[in-house]
Amino acid sequence: MADSNSHKSSRRKFLGGAGLAAAGTVALGVPVTTAQATEKKVPRWAMVMDLRKCIGCRACTVACKSENNVSLGRFRAVIQEKTMGAFPNTKKAFLPLMCNHCEGSKEDRVPPCVKICPEFPGKRMTFKTADGSKIRYRGGATYKRPDGAILIDAELCIGCGKCIDACPYGVRSFNPFVKAGKAPTKQAADKCDLCVHRLDNGLEPSCVNTCQGRARIFGDLNDPASEVSRLVKAHHLASDDNVLLAEEGTRPNVYYIDPDNLLKELYTQRKKDKLDHFVDQIV
Amino acid sequence: MSKFNRRKFVKLAAVSSAAVAVGAGNTQSALAGTPILQAGGRDFSPTTRKERKAIPTACWGCVTRDAMIGYVEDGRLMKLEGHPDSIRTLGKLCAKGQAGVNQVYFPDRILYPMQRVGKRGEHKWKRISWDEALDTIAAKLKPLRDAGTPELFCYHYGRHKASQAATMYDFMAAYGTGTIGNHTSICEGSKWVGQESLWGGMYDNWDYDKTDFVLNFGSNQFEAHTNHIPTSQRLIRAMVDRGVPLYTFDVRLSNTAAKSTQWVPIKPGTDGLVMLSMINVIMNEGLFRRDHFKFMRVTADHHASTNEKIAAVKAAVARFTPEFAEQESGVPAATIKTIARGFATANSACLLTYRGAVMHYHGADQERAAMLLSAITNNLDRPGGRVMGVGAGWKAPSSKKAKVQKALHIKDGFPGEAAFPTHHVSQSLLPMIKDGRAGRPEVYWFSCHNPAYVYGDNNGIADLMKDEELMPFIITSNIVYDESSALADIILPDVTYLERWDWEDMVSANQIAEFYIRQPLVKPLGESRCQGDVWPDLAKRIGIELAFKDKEDYVRQSCNMTPGVMEAGGFEYMKKHGVWHDKNARPNYGFYEAKVDVSGNGVILDEKTGTYWNWKKAGVASEAEAKAKGYLGSKGAKDAYVAQDIGGTAYLAYPPKTKFMKSGLLDFYSDNFASKGFPAFPTYTPVPEHVKMAKDDLILTTYKIAVHTHSRTAHCKWLTEIKHDNPAWINTKTAQDRGIANGDKIKVSSSVGEMTTTAHVTEGVMPGVIAISYHLGRRHSGIYGSGNSDPISGGAASDPDAKNMWWKKHGNHPNVIVPNASDPISGAMRWMDTVVKVAKV
Repeated sequence: MADSNSHKSSRRKFLGGAGLAAAGTVALGVPVTTAQATEKKVPRWAMVMDLRKCIGCRACTVACKSENNVSLGRFRAVIQEKTMGAFPNTKKAFLPLMCNHCEGSKEDRVPPCVKICPEFPGKRMTFKTADGSKIRYRGGATYKRPDGAILIDAELCIGCGKCIDACPYGVRSFNPFVKAGKAPTKQAADKCDLCVHRLDNGLEPSCVNTCQGRARIFGDLNDPASEVSRLVKAHHLASDDNVLLAEEGTRPNVYYIDPDNLLKELYTQRKKDKLDHFVDQIV
Repeated sequence: MSKFNRRKFVKLAAVSSAAVAVGAGNTQSALAGTPILQAGGRDFSPTTRKERKAIPTACWGCVTRDAMIGYVEDGRLMKLEGHPDSIRTLGKLCAKGQAGVNQVYFPDRILYPMQRVGKRGEHKWKRISWDEALDTIAAKLKPLRDAGTPELFCYHYGRHKASQAATMYDFMAAYGTGTIGNHTSICEGSKWVGQESLWGGMYDNWDYDKTDFVLNFGSNQFEAHTNHIPTSQRLIRAMVDRGVPLYTFDVRLSNTAAKSTQWVPIKPGTDGLVMLSMINVIMNEGLFRRDHFKFMRVTADHHASTNEKIAAVKAAVARFTPEFAEQESGVPAATIKTIARGFATANSACLLTYRGAVMHYHGADQERAAMLLSAITNNLDRPGGRVMGVGAGWKAPSSKKAKVQKALHIKDGFPGEAAFPTHHVSQSLLPMIKDGRAGRPEVYWFSCHNPAYVYGDNNGIADLMKDEELMPFIITSNIVYDESSALADIILPDVTYLERWDWEDMVSANQIAEFYIRQPLVKPLGESRCQGDVWPDLAKRIGIELAFKDKEDYVRQSCNMTPGVMEAGGFEYMKKHGVWHDKNARPNYGFYEAKVDVSGNGVILDEKTGTYWNWKKAGVASEAEAKAKGYLGSKGAKDAYVAQDIGGTAYLAYPPKTKFMKSGLLDFYSDNFASKGFPAFPTYTPVPEHVKMAKDDLILTTYKIAVHTHSRTAHCKWLTEIKHDNPAWINTKTAQDRGIANGDKIKVSSSVGEMTTTAHVTEGVMPGVIAISYHLGRRHSGIYGSGNSDPISGGAASDPDAKNMWWKKHGNHPNVIVPNASDPISGAMRWMDTVVKVAKV
């Protein structure tokens, strides 16, 4: 793990039920990017997808498979494509999809996948920033790190699949290669983790590294000079029109540069209890 | 991971000034929170967090051959990335390149030498040792050579480039056979022949970094280009960052067409006509540039003035009005005019062509039209234009050649089939063996090639390969049990490109040559061996000594004798860094403008052509004889070309570096073409079969998509998972006329056969056309490619992922209904001319 765990953290279960989340914000120690974080200079990772530059080449899809040894039958990153209009004015466009590493609702700043995880909040964790300061937060089978990465701890996973159902984007699936640590008859949940093993060593995620059009731009939104910050500002991306399913209130950290307003038309949302929208296919 | 490798990579990844505060191996998240991220050059295990060993090497997924970095963990290759220091790839790698990992570890890989024990095609094999295999092969080859008939050994390759080709050719020359077939005629041979007839070379590059306008006829640039990663990333950035327009003429809404400023649907076989009509517009509207006319020859006269040439071009294209082009091509005249004006008035413009434009009857002439359109707008070898490709020129060791050098005349097509088969007629090689009149090889060895899959009428080719009378002994060197190796007598387990040495030389996108090497990332699996290691071994058994002891030795010697690379540190430098280019080199443009000293001994001016040539170098007996016979009439004069006199100045111009005998002018009027009865000046020749089409006939075209090569990726699970079926694209209206709905089973029939497939009814294809990608429909390509496990599985560690394979479809191969028909000019395969009938099943 990249994080230094505070040892022998309590695994006591927190209260379940609807009342939890609202009360939970502070108590659960979900990281926030308010005063404390600003002082401690924690990044807020974000991806900007420049739809103008995505050529549908699938280098990202395959790079992700390889980097993370993602099994067949599921993906951590996909391209959706759609053909629109009538001949000869037919158009086709591409939409790269991944985990949105959501900020969480305005009320509690907890994304739905974290909120639903029965193993969250789990052990006490410490995030060490670049300047050496420490931020304490709570882990879980699904948890959010102070830099905004939504991560899975397979050791703590019970394979219940609730997070898979809870994600409105349907980016999660069971990993047939990894057992759920706390329920070894089941498989652990899995999804994009921003290549934290690269990130924590100062490297861009693998999909970003290989994107030939440089349609994927990754960086720190807390740094006003970063390319993502400049793009968010220049293209007015901090808008409901430039993220997926804004109405879910999840507040994604993946933003789309979309001058032709294609996002809604392109996006194929998951159907209830299904994940076949998240299997990359070329006709 | 060793310290050595980390150190190496701090250097290698010089692209970024990344603040690598703390090294790897630290379980603390020291860098979480470091906002300056490095793009690549290092990699870490997601499970153990250990740094992976990084080794610079090169791809071979397609002919682009990107320089890349392989990441190895505990001896296993885990990941591939573009090499961050490569001036070609700029650290990028495509989907096929990324899936190179699958090439090493797919579960059906052939890992041991095998000998056939049943009948051909019965799939019965026994494992043998390398010694047995090579002794058996030597026992076939040595007697042929000793009897003075080395030509009865035929070698037929698919992808062989750089040192992989050079070591093979070196062995073959030492052995003495010239019966060596290739595959270029099924790729884009007509494009090169068209170019060679003009600018004396081949392989154009497009200067996207500097261009202001891009016009594309029939290239799927963004998915499957021959120099994909170096060029397409530059093009999409030029479009978005600098607003460069891209117009794509294609029958199908490819990803390239989709990303274009405008997709212009076009009837197959009419690209050249549309280009000629653009020339018509540009000439008539006075939008041409005079600059390049002095290098052009457009009539029989080598000395015409620029004004005369302008008038002649105008006259020659007068009948190709946009209105006429509209009738034939379906492209509106107004669109032609608008794009022609944009192309001509842009400061610089690239004209891109590929298979869609040239794999036709008279395809070579369509490429000549593209060159003419580029020349009249002064966009040849100029910044931002269509430029001559610049690649690395390696020096390499060379073995002693055999005294007897002979070849069977089976590689250039049947008599009369092709006038200028400078890239050969590979689709006719096996049919010529069947025919037998030009002789039949006793031994046929194919490598990195799948003849029973990749050619037209491939079932017919397979039937021939089954015939032990006509093809008595077949050897292959292969990694996968495919349609052709199933019909071999001996299968040698080849290494993948990730387990071998090579030097590489593919063209750069920025006009500066890049030298790079390929080195093994992991130990070859099983008993697989690199062919470059096998040649010296086999040579010894035949009684020949080669100048290299294995491929590594060949690459070492080459690195240590090639200027530039040698001074940089030779082999040791290349092993460590992978890539080298001359930091002081400037982009190479306008080679034709170089002024040449013609005062040398033996240099004379040929009055007729205006060409300076060296009669002594040409080996002519006397100056008087040289003058009497003239440049064009003297044998050897082409190789003694010196310069072209243009208005009293001797320019390098366009030297005749190929098989075409010509002056230093761009031969838009070609004596070579005229002498064989082909149009001397670019023109429009309708595809004969298209003229005779019945009302309900359709034209079949084939194409490539982003995640597969033609025949060498179906076994790669990460690619085949994304694309494992290839339904036929058919326009909504065309489908309705036949009562076909999306997903219906359809029968497609041609003069050579029929196939059943599924209809993909779409607005993204031209009416009157049916388009089928040709990557799929594999009978054998391992479990992932064909659903069938290899009957001789070599025992590669079985892939735990195989149980997760979920797709049941494997596509349908369109080549079964494409006849092997050649462009009579170039000998290139006419992939896009087949007339078919389509009906609902």
